[in-house]
This record gives sequence, structure tokens and C-alpha cells, in this order.
Amino acid sequence: MSSAAGPDPSEAPEERRFLSTAEAAALERELLEDYRFGRQQLVELCGHASAVAVTKAFPLPALSRKQRTVLVVCGPEQNGAVGLVCARHLRVFEYEPTIFYPTRSLDLLHRDLTTQCEKMDIPFLSYLPTEVQLINEAYGLVVDAVLGPGVEPREVGGPCTRALATLKLLSIPLVSLDIPSGWDAETGSDSEDGLRPDVLVSLAAPKRCAGRFSGRHHFVAGRFVPDDVLRKFALRLPGYTGTDCVAAL
Amino acid sequence: MSGLRALLGLGLLVAGSRLQRITTQTSACRSGPTWWGPQRQNSGVRWNSEVMASTAVKYLSQEEAQAVDQELFNEYQFSVDQLMELAGLSCATAIAKAYPPTSMSRSPPTVLVICGPGNNGGDGLVCARHLKLFGYQPTIYYPKRPNKPLFTALVTQCQKMDIPFLGEMPSEPMVIDELYELVVDAIFGFSFKGDVREPFHSILSVLKGLTVPIASIDIPSGAGTQEVGWGRLGPYPPDFCPQV
Repeated sequence: MSSAAGPDPSEAPEERRFLSTAEAAALERELLEDYRFGRQQLVELCGHASAVAVTKAFPLPALSRKQRTVLVVCGPEQNGAVGLVCARHLRVFEYEPTIFYPTRSLDLLHRDLTTQCEKMDIPFLSYLPTEVQLINEAYGLVVDAVLGPGVEPREVGGPCTRALATLKLLSIPLVSLDIPSGWDAETGSDSEDGLRPDVLVSLAAPKRCAGRFSGRHHFVAGRFVPDDVLRKFALRLPGYTGTDCVAAL
Repeated sequence: MSGLRALLGLGLLVAGSRLQRITTQTSACRSGPTWWGPQRQNSGVRWNSEVMASTAVKYLSQEEAQAVDQELFNEYQFSVDQLMELAGLSCATAIAKAYPPTSMSRSPPTVLVICGPGNNGGDGLVCARHLKLFGYQPTIYYPKRPNKPLFTALVTQCQKMDIPFLGEMPSEPMVIDELYELVVDAIFGFSFKGDVREPFHSILSVLKGLTVPIASIDIPSGAGTQEVGWGRLGPYPPDFCPQV
């Protein structure tokens, strides 16, 4: 999908709150190339912050044993890697994650993140029931880490596509990382027909389609963007307080 | 360096014997609730024993700490980058909880981060970057830099965020006390063995003379992990020791 022609003219330069897909990619490139961040660092910070966001939306003391069980559905690209990190930190935070990661990336980052989860005894499902009621009954909430901005649904393979179809019918809470999987990252189209998450966790900065999000909580998570980069992209994010890596929008 | 604790989020240990010094320091600053609450003001010693009894955390020997690290790298396939990032972030968080910006005199509060030649130094670089994001004004002194991509990248990240690197370390404790409200010691970690070479020997001597609080990453630099005491350099009092 081609990106929008430029910044939305109705938004003053100082008040842009969303990134287009192209800008998000450019911001990431700047961090990786100019700031020499490693992809692993950024994925770790995003995954950790996503887990913290989950704890804010669904604090542990308020949850029953069953409600602490979390199904994390991971795609084969970066969004999936963030999901793997998120699952690991949820485990550390004493939730009980289970991962469904049907289409596995061969790259080293994904493989290592998978090993870390396996070694922490986080179960990996070999298949996901298509009967959504089984998921509603087995888990307290679901984390969607299938598709990030700029990844076409058709790129991720059958099992992920089928999983998304099942998740559309979910009645337990759904948390989407970065963008609701399957939404067009620019326009948010398919937001009627697609996933309807209760919680959206925008990574580093909200993407354009977040404007169409109408669920319960919208967080920005991943506090690592230097001020100069924020200025360069004319981004205005809500203030993080104290040492928080998550801010509510 | 980072160990299982960074992952288990077990939190931090305050070097209890020095709590009274923290009291002295912060009484001069703007008041504000600190994370351990008002008991601290009354008696550092009493609070210390209560905390120690309730937290019941195991202290690791040097061998155990190294074994934990090895397991994380070899079995769990963590990378040094990952663990260092988590370690530095946790330390910055701990420091910000112990010395919140609102409790410091300057705005933004000035912090000197002294980074040693190994992984503890790397933790310090990550810590400095997150302290900047948390609203502090860190300055780094990093005299001996390993020629490895991990460390050069961490330095670049700090430089690009306008965190200054000192060309030399002030040799008078009073000068440091004047310029900085807090010092972070990221010189040596738990795998340190042998003699302390320059320039770190001199640096540690200077730190001994400071009145501003010192936060040591993992262990107070130069302290023997095997001994109850403070190792071959004699006691150098860290006020706060977030143990990773």
C-alpha cells in the first residue's frame, strides 16, 4: 500500500501525533544507522514496554488465576519478535503466557528470542483452535503481535491469517502491538471488518491508523526515542512520567 | 554484569549500612516522598534490619554470578546487548527511584557516570542514556574503551543524545561535589579480579572523598565479592548499590 503523500495539512507541524508508515520506517532507520542502536536493543525495549503496558491495563492483583493466562500470537516479522520479548517479560511479571508462533523466521534474533522463551518454560502451541470459544475459555487475554506496519497480511502465511480470522471473534480482551494486525497502517481501513482490540500499544509513536482505534486503552510504549529525533519528525508524544516506559494517550 | 535478577525483576538492594548518609544528603534537598517511605528518616539501622529480614534475597558469590551469566548466554541464548540494555535500564530506574529528580537541587539534576573498561562500563553507558530520557543531565567519564562494536555503538548512542564525555576526571573530590549531585560508579563489576590499574586507582581514591551520593552498579568497584568487607582498596562507601 503506498504511503500518504505527506503530513496531514490539518495538523500543525508542532502537533503531529502520528507517524505514517514511511516515517516510522525512516525513524527506525535513523535510530539504527545514525544512532547505532541495534535491532535487538530496540526490540527488547519495545517488548519489555509492551509487557508493562499489559500490566497497566490488566494489573495482576485484580486478576484471577485463569485471567493471568495470556495467549501471545506472533507473526514471522519484527512485530512477532516484539511479541516474543513481551511474552518473556510477562512471564517475569508472573503472568502465564503461552505463545502461538506458527510461521517461524529463520533469522538469528527470532531464533534466540524463541530459545529464551522455551528455556523459561513458556509453552508454544503447535496449532491454534479455530473454535474461538476454546480460546475464550482457556485464556484471560490475547496479545496480537502478528503484523506490524508495512507488512502485508498475505506475506505471513496461512496459519497466521487463520489465527487472525479466529481472533476477530474473540470475546476476551485483545491487546494489539503497534497496529491492530490486518489494519492498513495508514488509513485504518479494515478497522470495521478486522480486529477490534481493546488495547492498542503503539511502539515508540502512534501510527496513522491509530486515529481509528476505538478500544478501551491506547498506550505508547518504548521510551527510547531521543529528543532530537522527536523534533526532527515533529512528533508530540504524551509525557512519560518518572521512569515509566509506557504512557497513556 | 547483568544476571538473572535483571530478568526476575527482583528489584534492588540498598547498601544498608550507608542509609544514614542518604538521609544527610537529601535533607538538604527539596522534600518529596521517596520510594522507601518515611521510616528512613528515623533510624537507618532499624529500617535496615527490617528490610533485610523481609526481602530475604540471596547474595551471589563471584563464581555463582559468573555461572548465572554463562547459563544466560549459552543456554538461554541471550546476547550481551540484550542483557546489558536490561541491566542499564534497570539501574537507571533504580537510581531514579532512589534519587528522584524532584528531590535534587538542580533541574535537570547533574549526574557523573564513570564507566570502566569492561561490561560494567557498558552497563553504565546504557544507564546514562536512560537517565537522560528520565530527565537527568548525565556526563560520562569513559577513559578506557574496548574496541568492540557493542561499546562503540553505545558510545555513539550517548554522543548523539548530547551526553558529554569528559576528557579528564576532576582530581579533587570537591570539584565533583560542586558540579554533580550524584555519581554513578560503573567501573568494575563482579568479574573483576586482580589489581586495579590506572587510571581507575586514582579515580577510586577521588570517589572515596566525595560527599555527594554514589550509586554503584552491581558492586562497589574494587570491593571483593567474596568478602564481607570492602576489598583490597579499603572501604569506599557507596550510598546505593543496585545489584544486577
